[in-house]
Amino acid sequence: MSGETLPELRIPVTRKLIVGGAIATRDYQDVHHDAVAAKERGSPDIFMNILTTNGLVGRYVAECLGPGTQVWAVKIRLGVPQYPDDELVFTGEFTPGDDGTGQVSVVGRNRLGAHVTGTVTVVLAEEARE
Amino acid sequence: MSRSAPDRLGGRAAIAGIGATKFSKDSGRSELKLAVEAVHAALDDAGLTPADVDGMVSFTMDTSPEITVAQAAGIGELSFFSRIHYGGGAACATVQQAAMAVATGIAETVVVYRAFNERSGRRFGSGVTRREPSAEGVALGWALPYGLLTPASWVAMAAQRYLHTYGLDAAEALGPVAVTARKHAANNPNAYFYERPITLAEHAASRWIAEPLRLLDCCQETDGGQALVITSAERARDLRQKPAVITAAAQGAGRAQEQMTSFYRDELTGLPEMGVVARQLWQTSGLAPGEVDVGILYDHFTPFVLMQLEEFGFCGPGEAAAFVREERLPLNTHGGQLGEAYLHGMNGIAEGVRQLRGSSVNQVPDAARVLVTAGTGVPTSGLLLGADG
Amino acid sequence: MSQDDDALHERLKAYEGKSAGEGGRGPDPVNDPMIRHWCEALGHPAPPDGSAPATMLQVWTMAGYNGPTGRSENYLEMFRLLDEAGCTSIVATDCEQEYLRPLRPGDELVYDSVIETVSPRKTTKLGSGHFITTRMELRVGDETVGTHRFRVFKYAPAKARKSSEEAATKAKRPRPVVNRDNAGFWEGVADRKLLFQRCDGCRTARFPWLPGCNSCGSQEWTAEEASGDGTVYSYVVMHHPPFPAFDPPYAVGLIELAEGVRMICNVVGVPYDKVRIGMPVRLEFAEVEDDLVLPVFRAEEAV
Repeated sequence: MSGETLPELRIPVTRKLIVGGAIATRDYQDVHHDAVAAKERGSPDIFMNILTTNGLVGRYVAECLGPGTQVWAVKIRLGVPQYPDDELVFTGEFTPGDDGTGQVSVVGRNRLGAHVTGTVTVVLAEEARE
Repeated sequence: MSRSAPDRLGGRAAIAGIGATKFSKDSGRSELKLAVEAVHAALDDAGLTPADVDGMVSFTMDTSPEITVAQAAGIGELSFFSRIHYGGGAACATVQQAAMAVATGIAETVVVYRAFNERSGRRFGSGVTRREPSAEGVALGWALPYGLLTPASWVAMAAQRYLHTYGLDAAEALGPVAVTARKHAANNPNAYFYERPITLAEHAASRWIAEPLRLLDCCQETDGGQALVITSAERARDLRQKPAVITAAAQGAGRAQEQMTSFYRDELTGLPEMGVVARQLWQTSGLAPGEVDVGILYDHFTPFVLMQLEEFGFCGPGEAAAFVREERLPLNTHGGQLGEAYLHGMNGIAEGVRQLRGSSVNQVPDAARVLVTAGTGVPTSGLLLGADG
Repeated sequence: MSQDDDALHERLKAYEGKSAGEGGRGPDPVNDPMIRHWCEALGHPAPPDGSAPATMLQVWTMAGYNGPTGRSENYLEMFRLLDEAGCTSIVATDCEQEYLRPLRPGDELVYDSVIETVSPRKTTKLGSGHFITTRMELRVGDETVGTHRFRVFKYAPAKARKSSEEAATKAKRPRPVVNRDNAGFWEGVADRKLLFQRCDGCRTARFPWLPGCNSCGSQEWTAEEASGDGTVYSYVVMHHPPFPAFDPPYAVGLIELAEGVRMICNVVGVPYDKVRIGMPVRLEFAEVEDDLVLPVFRAEEAV
């Protein structure tokens, strides 16, 4: 039930990251760049799109396990929204499998609680295997 | 005062058949129809027919009376019928009643069942906001005006005190119970959460329901039915399946017992009613906790699994969280109600039988002694089942 | 769930298994500039072999500035049904992806997607609506390179709903359940007194109210007024499900009175997340609704 605890990654979440992430993922939904429209839809502010969150989960795994790590699968569930002017703190646990594969369980928390929880299935790059 | 001597029921009856419907979130049929399907499946499993049945037992909470299930299942005259009260606490007691009827010759073949559309119909988790002014209604009524309205919240009140008393963190103490159940369910094609294990991190990150309980501390809600066939141990040996002998069966209610709201007695750190069951099961069977191969412990909410382990003496008070984390006893190998289905504990009895037959999806090698318990937080019951011979 | 909700769900369920878009094409082949921009914005290290980061998968299928294209008529119809039912907002909740091989510049993606499931009406903090799960298969030529399961919540925002609910009569708290055995307690509350019972036989203090004593069986008792001092013996913070008469999250305490008996009560004068076991509290009476007075306990410590 236990694996290797991975280092924490703290990502400052600015308005620039939320809007930049939305556009880099080609997501033009107004709630990800237009605060007025977001309020009309019942959200206090713009919030991060799931494609950016998914990408940041990928980034966390790449930074912890090395950029040559192959990601086979990602399963994520969103919890509380990610608004700007906050910090997204990733923590994770790596459980090795057979033949250089492994599972990373990841949680990304902000000041409201868990923004994202999930598991990532990876194959380590040759040089990262022990 | 509860008994302190072995009873004379031990070993005289056996579970000869088990049968269930599909466990779903929307059965699309009536509760009666589910009950009948489960009864037929259990009789088929035993190699018996409706004509062989002369006794039936269910829960007072079941909406399908014994006579109506018999009528629709092709069962004829009944010489024994009974219903047990107190929600899921009835589960193992249905088997005890059946065994008593069989052991005394009042009936020969008794079918026990529980079937409901608990997810698509009346959901227990949606809470209570009104009660009749009966003694039973008044007892629960003390909590209602203050917004303590759901089963999760009633369990949470005791869980909070338990965690506080032993200095435990909710996520660390309760997470392993949920993770273990879902790990087992992940291998069980009949489980709702088949192939969907969870991690401790996912448990800890799941949303609050009633602090200190999170979503993943709470069992699912299910539509389905489960039935079991009980006959004498002797006759069971001649039937189709390997008998699961009822080594001991017991009911228990504690002093100052309530249904889910026993807040006004003792320290709120245990389940005294399960202690009554435990003493009787150990006395009648002559067994000790170390001799049990598998524990199927009622898990509608994770904290009460910990308290049950302590009441049965598998570990000391406050030690159950570590006991589960260290996987010192195979627990809820079907996935429990957290992972397989919420069938008011009856699906757990079926799993106990499968372990003794050697047909569980998470088979414990050579399992010969299984402890099964019924609903917690209410007057309850338990069984020790044994392999024959 | 209302009958209208059921009827809508029936109509929505008919879309399960239907195509949500066939033969969709990524607007651009996998290309270096988009990879670079994405890595830059997200702070993601560039894969050393020049492939696209795996978690970029969905980006290649996004329609971009000019809005959705390549959606099937089924999908659009289902969304129109939801819009008409007031479920005009949407939020993504889950994403499951498998990456069968790395994508490289020049790969041209085509994809098919199917509506897997539509949930019954669910209420979350955001509002009330339906979860829709779609599954997409992505190919390059005939080769499947990835799969993508996506769940969104299409809902009517809670704020918009609340105002219409508030216009209706405010929901009331559950009433106390009163009969001959405990009427004395509620008569006491009406006089702003908290009464417990004391057994005339063995002097044991008793709560909840019952006609006889669990310690000695005596049926004789006397009502006594509590001093009003107590401590929090345990507590729960209620989050879910929401009950209209309460406003989650809220705390419910199990209070131990100085006289040794316990009762369920609300704890006031302290935020729900600051209630603690052992906290001293003091009795008050609150007129929580026009015709409902309840005892409550106020936290004594400044927190």
